[in-house]
Amino acid sequence: MTPFELAEPRSLKDALALLNTEDPSVRAFGGCTALMLMMKTGVFQPTCLVSLRGVEPQHAEIQPDGGALRIGALATLTAIGGSAMVRKAAPVIVNAMQTLSNVRVRNVATLGGHLAHGDPHMDLPPVMIALDAELTAVSVNGERKLAVADLFTGYYETALAKNELISEVRIPSQAGRRSAYIKCTTRTADDWPALGVAVSFATDGKVIQDARVVVSAATEKAVRLRDAEAALNGATVSDAVLARAGEAAAAEAEVVGDARGSAAYKREMLRVYAARAVKQALAA
Amino acid sequence: MQRNIRFTLNGRPVETQVGNHQNLVEVLQGQGLFGARESCSQGLCGCCTVIINGAAVSGCLTLAPLIDGADVRTIEESQPDGKLDPVQQAFVETGAFQCGFCTPGFVLMTRQLLDAHPQPTDDEIRHYLAGNLCRCAAYPEIIKAVQLAAAKCKG
Repeated sequence: MTPFELAEPRSLKDALALLNTEDPSVRAFGGCTALMLMMKTGVFQPTCLVSLRGVEPQHAEIQPDGGALRIGALATLTAIGGSAMVRKAAPVIVNAMQTLSNVRVRNVATLGGHLAHGDPHMDLPPVMIALDAELTAVSVNGERKLAVADLFTGYYETALAKNELISEVRIPSQAGRRSAYIKCTTRTADDWPALGVAVSFATDGKVIQDARVVVSAATEKAVRLRDAEAALNGATVSDAVLARAGEAAAAEAEVVGDARGSAAYKREMLRVYAARAVKQALAA
Repeated sequence: MQRNIRFTLNGRPVETQVGNHQNLVEVLQGQGLFGARESCSQGLCGCCTVIINGAAVSGCLTLAPLIDGADVRTIEESQPDGKLDPVQQAFVETGAFQCGFCTPGFVLMTRQLLDAHPQPTDDEIRHYLAGNLCRCAAYPEIIKAVQLAAAKCKG
């Protein structure tokens, strides 16, 4: 890796001031696991890195907000996965955590970095979109709210401005809803996924309502699949309905092939996994 | 770009100069410790496992300046009575390695696992150690070693 300056601000305000620069190679990090990979391969050569580890500890807190849950962007994935509050409010997050990277990475990687990295292979973007989570982005100019669904604009691209950081993620009450996330790994069980599918929906008796179906890893960014959702909304779950939802998902997703599977293979897996995720949510 | 850091290494105070871009494995090598090995360089294999302030991390993904002030423990940390601990003993008794390159990481991660789950299920063992790779594929023996270590710790 090439040498760089390292700034360790003691407050979020100071961190934001450091990031308010024209230099595109100045970047903030929480756990620094994802950035380390980019620096090691030479894809990213910073002049200065800004460590967020020393800012106020409140930015790592997890707290209830009525029926909703607020997770500080600097909460580690281990802290989130082990939180009784998260387990109660959205068990799908805790379940996803079990196969998200590994223990050592989860011990230091943070929710904010996980989302801001914009990597379509990561596990929590589709989950957070399915849960209709909203994030707070902060900069020297103030703060704004953004749906996690609107965060991802392309492959490793986000709607965050160069000087913005995610400070918090808010998960609305999931009362009456069921959710699931499953992924398909093709080389080893713990490989980066070839495909991820997150679903969340309300049920009125046996009728599905307000469904959200999200695909990741097989596409250039995590994205909702509206046709698959439409196939589920108002329907009573049956094999025929699940088949239609799977067909719709496979038809509408802009699937990209890579080393983990061709586009044709991933599309076929999406057809199967979309239906499987709905079944799993119903069983949860 | 360079800075002095102080940290506790296996219970003894250390002061050394590091580059901001260096990683923890390089720092440990500078201290004559080679138990944490940079193998995959991507945090996937677990050969560079180090315990920082009680939590396992990948040394190859840890920037050296970030360990300033930390409590750092490696596989070289000697046990109080100078003997192998129950985890190490269990790995020996079950033959849970061939070449041994990955063993320091497996031993450290197993200790962490047993701290969190003293009587882990097979499923918990597999999930917890999913981030450690053994190219000799001694996995069946490793699972047995963890079960035996759990039994020994329960003692």
